[in-house]
Amino acid sequence: MTMDATLSGHLQELRRGTVVVASLTVLRQPGYGYSLLETLSAAGFEVEANTLYPLLRRLETQGLLTSSWNTDEARPRKFYRTTEQGDAIAAALRDEWVRLDKAIGDLDHPSGNDSRSKQ
Amino acid sequence: MTTLIDRYVFTVLRRVPEQQRSDIERELRTSIEDAVDARVDGGQPREAAIEQTLLELGDPDRLADGYADRPRYLIGPVFYPAWQRIIILLLSTILPLVVTIVVVIRILDDASIGEVIGSAVSTTLTAGAHMVFWVTLTFAILERTGVARAELRGRSWSLDDLPRYEPGLQTPAQLGAALGWVVLVIAAIVLQQFAFTEEPVLDPANWSFWWPYLIGVLILEGVYAVWLYRRGTWTHTVTIVNAVLAAMFAIPVTWLAVNERFFNPEWIATLDWGATDPLAWLTGITVSIAVGGALYDIIDVAIRVERARRGLPTPVPGTGREYSTPLS
Repeated sequence: MTMDATLSGHLQELRRGTVVVASLTVLRQPGYGYSLLETLSAAGFEVEANTLYPLLRRLETQGLLTSSWNTDEARPRKFYRTTEQGDAIAAALRDEWVRLDKAIGDLDHPSGNDSRSKQ
Repeated sequence: MTTLIDRYVFTVLRRVPEQQRSDIERELRTSIEDAVDARVDGGQPREAAIEQTLLELGDPDRLADGYADRPRYLIGPVFYPAWQRIIILLLSTILPLVVTIVVVIRILDDASIGEVIGSAVSTTLTAGAHMVFWVTLTFAILERTGVARAELRGRSWSLDDLPRYEPGLQTPAQLGAALGWVVLVIAAIVLQQFAFTEEPVLDPANWSFWWPYLIGVLILEGVYAVWLYRRGTWTHTVTIVNAVLAAMFAIPVTWLAVNERFFNPEWIATLDWGATDPLAWLTGITVSIAVGGALYDIIDVAIRVERARRGLPTPVPGTGREYSTPLS
C-alpha cells in the first residue's frame, strides 16, 4: 500500500513534462483536444483530460502552439498546431530525453572502465 | 432545464477569467461531446456516457484553476519560510508584549481581576487574529502578483546573509532590533505626556532636565549599538562603555524613584488600589527593574566579552552547539 503510493508518487514526478514533449511532437500535424487525448493514450501516455486541455491553452499562451477554429464540420473544433518555436523546443526536449535515457542506462550498467568501478 | 453538461460547463466558467469564457466554453463543450460520442459508439447508453465523461474530467473547480493558471495554494514554497518566520516572531514576541501592555494599563485603570483577564484573553484573540490575517494576506498577494523572492529582499540571497554566531559580531537585524528598542522607549517617554492616560504617568516637572537627559542617554545607547556593530570585536572597552551607559540610565531613575520624583503625583492620585499604597509599590517595581536590568546587562556583556577574549565556547542559540572564538 505505502510502497504503491510511494511508487505512484515518483512515477508522477517522472512523467510530469513528458506530456508537453509528446503534445508538441504530435501536433506538428494539426489536431484538436479530444483527438490528441486519444492519440496520446493510444501511444501509452497516461494523461487526463483535465490536465491536457488547460495545458494546450498554456502552450498556446507561450507561443509554442497556435490555434484556429475549424467550422467546416457540423461540430466546430479548435485545432492546435505546433509553431516553429514549439518545434525547436520539442526537439531540445527530445534531445534531453535521449541524453537522460543514456545517462540512466550508463548508471545502471557501468561499462567497467570508469573510475567508479575501481573502488 | 439545464443538462448535466450545462451544469458542469457553467461551474467551470464561473471560475475562469471573463475574456476567456466563450472560447473555453466552446472548446470544452466540443471536447465533452467528442468523448461522449466515442463512448456511445463503444456501445454505452448516452446518459451513462455523459456521467462517465464528466466524472473523468473531475472537479470543475480544479479544471477552472488549470484554465486560469491559478495556484491551488495560498502561500507557495518560495514565500512560506518568510511567512513562517514573521508569524512566529509576531506571535511569540510582539503579541505577548501587546497583551502585557494592555494588562498593565487595565491594572493601572483600576480594573477588577476578572476584567483584566477578560481584556488579556480578548486582546490575545483580536491582536493575534489581526497579525496572522494581515501577514497572510500580504504574502498571498505577493504570491499572486508574481513578486520573486529576490525582489522582496532587494537582491538574491548571498553568503553575507548567514548570521554571525560569534558573541562580538552582530547581524544588521540585531542592530535593527537594538535601535528599534531605543526608538520605542523614547517614543514611550514622549507619548506618555499626551497619550495613554488622562494625567501623564511620569512627573512633568522633570522635563526641565531629567527626561531630556534620559532621552539623551537612550540616544547614546543607540550610538553605542552602531559602534558595537561596526567594531566587530568585544574587548574590555566594550564592557566599560556598556557599564557606564547602564549606570547613566539606572542611577538617575533609581534616585528619582526613591525621592518620589519619578511618577506624576497627580497620576498617582488617580489610582485607587484599596489598602495598598500605589506609590510605594510602583517605586519598588521601578527600582527593581532599573537596578536589576542594569546589573543583568552589565554582567551579561562582561561575561560575553570574557568568553570572546579567552576563546571560551559560547552557546549558539537554538542549536545546542557551542562555538569557540579563535584567540586573536
